[in-house]
Amino acid sequence: MKCPGPPESSRLACFLENALAREARIWKVPVFQNLTLKGTDISLSCYKKVVLWIAEISSRFQFYPETFALATSILNRLLASVKAQLKYLQCIAISCLVLAAKTNEEDEVIPSVKMLAVQSGCKRSPAEILRMERIILDKLHWDLYTATPMDFLDIFHAMVMSNCPHLLHGLPQMNPSRHVAFLTKQLQHCMACHQLLQFKGSTLALVIITLELERLTPDWFPVITDLLKKAQINSTDFIHCKELVDQELMRLQPSNAVYIFCPTRHAIQGCPKARLPYHGPLGLRNSLQERVRVAVNQPVLAPFTSTAAPVPDETVETDDYYDGFRHLYREEGGGRVSAGGLCPQPRAGGGSSPCPPLQPPDRDWGRVAAAGAATAEPVGPGEQSGRHNRAKVLSEDNDV
Amino acid sequence: MHQDNKMGDVLCSWRCRTQRPWSHPDSFQEQNVVERFKWQRQGIPFGAATSYVHLEKLCEGSCATVFKGISRINGQLVVLKVIRLEAEEGVPFTAIREASLLKRLKHANIVLLHDIIQTKETLTFVFEYMHTDLAQYMGQHPGGLHSCNVMLFMFQLLRGLAYIHQQHILHRDLKPQNLLISCLGELKLADFGLACAKSIPRQTYSSEVVTLWYRPPDVLLGATNYSSDLDIWSAGCIFVEMIQGQPIFAGTSDIHEQLEKIWAVLGVPTEDTWPGLSKLPNYNLELAASRRPQRLQVICDRLSRVSAAEDLAFKMLTAFPRGRISAQDALLHGFFSPLPPQLYQVPAGQSVLTVPGVRLQPEICDLFASYRKGHLSGGSSKFW
Repeated sequence: MKCPGPPESSRLACFLENALAREARIWKVPVFQNLTLKGTDISLSCYKKVVLWIAEISSRFQFYPETFALATSILNRLLASVKAQLKYLQCIAISCLVLAAKTNEEDEVIPSVKMLAVQSGCKRSPAEILRMERIILDKLHWDLYTATPMDFLDIFHAMVMSNCPHLLHGLPQMNPSRHVAFLTKQLQHCMACHQLLQFKGSTLALVIITLELERLTPDWFPVITDLLKKAQINSTDFIHCKELVDQELMRLQPSNAVYIFCPTRHAIQGCPKARLPYHGPLGLRNSLQERVRVAVNQPVLAPFTSTAAPVPDETVETDDYYDGFRHLYREEGGGRVSAGGLCPQPRAGGGSSPCPPLQPPDRDWGRVAAAGAATAEPVGPGEQSGRHNRAKVLSEDNDV
Repeated sequence: MHQDNKMGDVLCSWRCRTQRPWSHPDSFQEQNVVERFKWQRQGIPFGAATSYVHLEKLCEGSCATVFKGISRINGQLVVLKVIRLEAEEGVPFTAIREASLLKRLKHANIVLLHDIIQTKETLTFVFEYMHTDLAQYMGQHPGGLHSCNVMLFMFQLLRGLAYIHQQHILHRDLKPQNLLISCLGELKLADFGLACAKSIPRQTYSSEVVTLWYRPPDVLLGATNYSSDLDIWSAGCIFVEMIQGQPIFAGTSDIHEQLEKIWAVLGVPTEDTWPGLSKLPNYNLELAASRRPQRLQVICDRLSRVSAAEDLAFKMLTAFPRGRISAQDALLHGFFSPLPPQLYQVPAGQSVLTVPGVRLQPEICDLFASYRKGHLSGGSSKFW
């Protein structure tokens, strides 16, 4: 990523203003009550799992993080405006991803719906997904563009980098692009967290940037105050959100480490090394064929069931990546990460990883997802007409 | 299939006009009779195929057919773009992008999306009716347009572009066919099917965008990190085409040939004139190494007849993408100085043709035609 210089600051301010206006226009999230999504049988853990599943499929197909974020935003808006049943949640989720990909990805990158259906392991026919696609478009009035937490993370990160270009100087191997990729993974986990759902994307993104800055520099306060003001974020919300994110990231750190490296590793495996571009993960996008190969090689739910830290490849890029994180954490010795005794050192010692046995909270997702799909199966809305199906799947929530 | 829809619509409108209760078998199956009457009293609903009457077919594309129509909601003329849904892939991505972007864009120089109708096999976008497009208009007025009209069209094109670029949206398919023109001379950007919203950090984009003739050299060389400068190049090509009456870089169907055409006018760029040039994926300039830049007006003689036109064209058609003028700055260019200054104060939602004294001038060939009382190339009935 090109690091924007000072003349960029007005352009960035314009980006921020624009994104805030978009967020203000159609931001909508579902409400949870008594451990389920209000008025439905969708539990908190199911919600979390489905969001992480979207993230997984999204990175499996090497979509941009923005595509995952858009899919989640579409999902949230839909769940906020209709009462969806659990058995349709997976179909809704994959359809949200189809829509996000069609909106955000380039034509040559958008996989066929059939391939997405098969590779995601969602056990839904393309026809069902397409029917759901139209229902979602109809419910959301075809208004899909919004500013996602990911957009805000990108903007705030660019603003911080433009104001304090020296920030990452103490961290060799770390460049702004890797840094933002690292924060992106944190954000993805926070987006799956139902307690954080109540906060706007702008607040959540700024909180993640703040926590990171706190670790990187003693001078974080004026930078953040300035951003808070520019983004017109409510400071009570901000403080509340910060506490929750801090807790969440502390808990998620180990599984986070596993999660971070999987897509990159696969991407590198799937792509000829010669084609790896200079600038980090954003450049790791190659032709669809390669993506397909990646997708075929890897069973989708594998990362969720794996408890071992991945053994890094011999690829230079991968090493850089790991080193970058290691440096980041080592520098911050007694910080937030090590407070729980869970300092992630996924690479330390090469083959003989001294990593603590990881017990990621979302480990059992694969099993549950499969179970969810199985329970949904008997319904088989394959032969029903679209409109009929819609009436059955989603009952209007008149209160919302 | 479309004929059936059309027939159904005509039938329904006939029923309504003769005050019969609706009895369309499919669309309202689930509504009870009471509700049907309530709807009828409250007015005709948006989103229903029966609310629009199809008139004649305007054109047929690869995935959509365009009809002229009338809205029964307000009696206005509309354009009905009927998109066939693919059995395999569902709603085309172009339709999703166009709809969700146009939902966001409200501006006098952006085509207005009135309504979206979903039926089982088709999807219909209802747009405001515009009489013609710039390609047809230029076709009907060969040999270059009246300089006042070029100014008027160009100002509106740049005004629309400045607006979408301010919203961080790239059109990515600007060409005369996608610029709609009303009988008053209002110009609106249409066809946002390839458009995209850009974000930070800049994503890389497809280099398979924009019709070849209007595609900038950086994208021809495989650049994927373009920005609003992409649309500016296309707009620059359209600008010269309006003045000259001929597309400036036309007649090719091959990327290398297209680049040759551009270098023949602008000269072959070097790393000095275009930092980063040699890093572009398709960079290979050995064959054309000796070309020197020419003045644009040598290629397009009519540019010299209009004050400041060559300079504006030159600033828009700069090979180095970051060197291209922005839409906002182009609006302030001296070329537009003959226009009344109030034009810059017109609110976004209002047409610049509301400013007194700003109006479409008759084209020379129309004057000629009316003098001879003939019908040269359609004459006065030039619109659809």
